[in-house]
Amino acid sequence: MDRLIYLYGLIPRKEEGQQPLPPLKGFDGTDNLYTIPIGDITAVVCQLDPEKYSEESIKERVNDDMEWLQEKAFHHHETVMALSKIFTVIPLKFCTLYKNPDSLKRAVQSNRSNMLYTFDLIAGHEEWNLKMYCNDQLLKKQVSGSNPVIEAKREEISQLSKGKQFFEKKKLDKLIESQLEEEKNKISENIHLHLKELARKGDVKKAWSAAATARKEDMAWNGVYLVEKSKVERFLEQIQQYEKELRENGWQLEASGPWPAYHFSSFS
Amino acid sequence: MQPVNQSNGKINLDPENAEHGLAQLVLTVIELLRQIVERHAIRRVEGGTLTDEQIENLGEALMNLEEKMEELKELFGLNDEDLNINLGPLGNLL
Repeated sequence: MDRLIYLYGLIPRKEEGQQPLPPLKGFDGTDNLYTIPIGDITAVVCQLDPEKYSEESIKERVNDDMEWLQEKAFHHHETVMALSKIFTVIPLKFCTLYKNPDSLKRAVQSNRSNMLYTFDLIAGHEEWNLKMYCNDQLLKKQVSGSNPVIEAKREEISQLSKGKQFFEKKKLDKLIESQLEEEKNKISENIHLHLKELARKGDVKKAWSAAATARKEDMAWNGVYLVEKSKVERFLEQIQQYEKELRENGWQLEASGPWPAYHFSSFS
Repeated sequence: MQPVNQSNGKINLDPENAEHGLAQLVLTVIELLRQIVERHAIRRVEGGTLTDEQIENLGEALMNLEEKMEELKELFGLNDEDLNINLGPLGNLL
């Protein structure tokens, strides 16, 4: 039975010629990583015992063995990070396995043009992520305190009888909520559009829930950008500038990177 | 009296604090009902079928209910987040 092939990433073959692969330990901690050339693309892989790493046994461990998952996911990430510091890498998802070198070669060959396009796109660029958080209470104060429509409505309500005031206040609360959402979107979108201009590409991802981030504030924006290396400094300075301007109004901007180009490359 | 202050949306039923856990649970249910009644009332008012007097009475009653709820929350050391339950994929209860 062939040994399984664990694929970490794909790099342009010409880059491998310029710089050799550093010694990196494979998924099971014993063998080193090695490369398989497939035309003008090079796959960075390691071998695994098919009995120990069958599809079922991996699924089982991913679902039940948190410690194992954490250790291996960390290994995968660290390895791809190390590669992306040296090469232009199309990073693969955690636990991408092939039955043998031939099945890997077939998969790479059938996606060749897509990958060459991706190499062109990501070469000399870094992937950066920006998460924006907003303290709704602070921004709400700002929104409801400086809006003449809301001020007028408040004045109008104070003239009403007690019972009616209750309903009108509820309506006003709703109005403030919707204004708040609008304001949040407007600010986030403006920042995103500007950052997108500084980047080669920019996309919006789904904002995470407060449960996933373990933060009190909801995530207002989750953006990902492909930035030319020489422009990264300027890109990050711009984010700092926004953070400074908006901090008082309850905003927090969190940039992270450089990441392997998980978002801007796809191998399928 | 130790305030029950949890932001993870779980009801605390450990024996030491059983009384508090129970108060939290009961208040959560009451708050859910109160909000349902309130939303229904708002729909009726917006529907335009109620007289001025009826609107006035309903508004005052709901306002008193809201105030009472605030008092109870204070009494048991609970805040709005404590009266919410995370229903997983369904989102929050309130």
